[in-house]
Amino acid sequence: MDTLGHIMNGFNVALMPVNLWYTFLGCLMGTVIGVLPGIGPAAGIGLLIPVTYGMNPTSALIMMAGIYYGAMYGGSTTSILINTPGEASSVMTALDGYQMAKNGRAGAALAVSAIGSFLAGTFGIVALTILAVPLAAYALKFGPAEYCCLMLFSLAAVSSLTGKSVAKGIISTVLGLMISTIGIDLQSGQPRYTMGVPELQDGVGFLVVVVGLFAMGEVFSNLEDHIKGKAEIIKLSGRLWLTREEWSRSIMPIVRGGVIGFFKGVLPGAGATIATMLSYTVEKRISKTPEKFGSGMIEGVAGPEAANNAATCGSMVPLLTLGVPGSGSTAVLMGAFIMYGIQPGPLLFEKRPDLVWGLVDSMYIGNIMLLILNLPLIGIFVRILYIPTGILLSLILAISAIGVYSINGNVLELQMALMFGVLGYLFRKCDIPLAPMVLALVLGGIMEQSFRQAMTISGADPTVFVKSGICITLLVFTVIMVSLPVILPRLREWTSGPEDVDS
Amino acid sequence: MLTDKIILALTLLLAAVYFYATAQIPSLEIGDPLGPKAFPILLGVILVLACVLLAVEIIRAKPQPAVEKDAASADSAENAKHLWQIGGVVVWTAFYFWMFDRAGYIATTTVYLLALTIVFNRGKWLANILTSVFFTIGSYVLFAKILGVVLPTGLVSF
Repeated sequence: MDTLGHIMNGFNVALMPVNLWYTFLGCLMGTVIGVLPGIGPAAGIGLLIPVTYGMNPTSALIMMAGIYYGAMYGGSTTSILINTPGEASSVMTALDGYQMAKNGRAGAALAVSAIGSFLAGTFGIVALTILAVPLAAYALKFGPAEYCCLMLFSLAAVSSLTGKSVAKGIISTVLGLMISTIGIDLQSGQPRYTMGVPELQDGVGFLVVVVGLFAMGEVFSNLEDHIKGKAEIIKLSGRLWLTREEWSRSIMPIVRGGVIGFFKGVLPGAGATIATMLSYTVEKRISKTPEKFGSGMIEGVAGPEAANNAATCGSMVPLLTLGVPGSGSTAVLMGAFIMYGIQPGPLLFEKRPDLVWGLVDSMYIGNIMLLILNLPLIGIFVRILYIPTGILLSLILAISAIGVYSINGNVLELQMALMFGVLGYLFRKCDIPLAPMVLALVLGGIMEQSFRQAMTISGADPTVFVKSGICITLLVFTVIMVSLPVILPRLREWTSGPEDVDS
Repeated sequence: MLTDKIILALTLLLAAVYFYATAQIPSLEIGDPLGPKAFPILLGVILVLACVLLAVEIIRAKPQPAVEKDAASADSAENAKHLWQIGGVVVWTAFYFWMFDRAGYIATTTVYLLALTIVFNRGKWLANILTSVFFTIGSYVLFAKILGVVLPTGLVSF
């Protein structure tokens, strides 16, 4: 009953005029960021954190979350109209969405993605609300050793699932962890790897890395594509609504996509992108006309779009209840939490139920706002696409400069951000995933602390990590995760035999 | 494949540097059985293991390198040109940052944006000049005056 009271009270918080305004602002900016090809939710949140200094944490986090799920709505627009996915999670939408636009059904494609996003998003928040309480209660039993294993599992899952090569994923992870060890060691007071630079004593700023890797690095990559050639924008045509036939074809893919998306979102490493791929594959498999996929099938838009929105809700589950994000974007969101002095996790449900439930409940409202923003007003957002890419990318670099400088007013941090920008660009070129590095950077400090606490409690006996059932289970899953890319193809070969050649 | 080998070499180098830097941390073991070095050493070991894994991946992937060589070389010439352009942007950005608090936000940002847009939005002089000037002034007003973000004033300020 107490929990129900907290959930209801969350609506009071979310419906406060100031929070409604920030929900709206977050959703609006999220949509814009989703539409813009050169910038994703991670960069968007990173760039806007400095702006929100001085705001109360609840409002700020409501806005940040709005940017995160809002970007999932906006991402589909560019996929459909210019065949350039705004976000990785919109890649599958482009396959059939762009073809629908070419066939003159752009309006229907945009409508189904907005409606599908709304339905699946709302389902996702309901599921998040239901799942959060028992999971947070369970997580309260975790000691430092269990936490350390949980973070290890999360990092292993993200390293192994986000890129093409596990080795590169692990390298990216370890790099992030190493960056997190720079600065004064909290337990012994020893400076580590500061090379005598006073600015490094507090460690490498999280925002410096995020803005560098995601905003600047992304701009450099996009500049390169821009030099290579320009995409053509398809004019918005057709009524922004569905025919009865299109609607009846879309509803089941939305339901399936929502369920797949939510559960994929909860699991670390999988996240929105893999959820959309899975949803698309499922729709293609069960379709009576799989050969038509890729030529403008509405099922291929409805399913993945529903999946990626449900996945964003799902990915809020581990972030809020365990304090261990499972993806790059939620890692940035966690960084934002920490900057406001708020440690997400099970204790937050006891200490600040107003914040947790205010945030969750604001997502219901945000989803309704996004539906309105994305259906009747989509024409306005499409205009953003007409901003010349050369100008847009230049402006993002200038905004990055403001964002980083505003943290400490330090030019050295600007140069460091640029270094991370170059690193991000090179990583993209070499197929090294960035998400593991950011996740590792966010978790690194906490992970080292819990590792050392566990060892201190046990008197430097490493068997503490295999003493509890939770630890053993998590470690086994960690091993499975890392070896998954090796096992999976073998398993598929073994089960399906030689006749299946399509994968 | 070549890039993967370079990554392998650089990562091993990084691990070596990290191990060396870890050894330099003075360690006073009071109350903390592990001290500030243990976790970093563990990280270094994992990084070396990841290198081994990468080496295995490189060796495994070897049987299928023979793609059309002509297309690849034409592509790489094109790629090299792009790399120079990106390199130029990076150097120009580094210079912008270096001047940032010397000449102030408004002066540096206007010039920085003007140069970038002239190169990447070629020929649209009016749009480029208007964007550079108005974005700079607009963002200065928004961030420094309304949101209270500290930006360097330098040469031009109001």
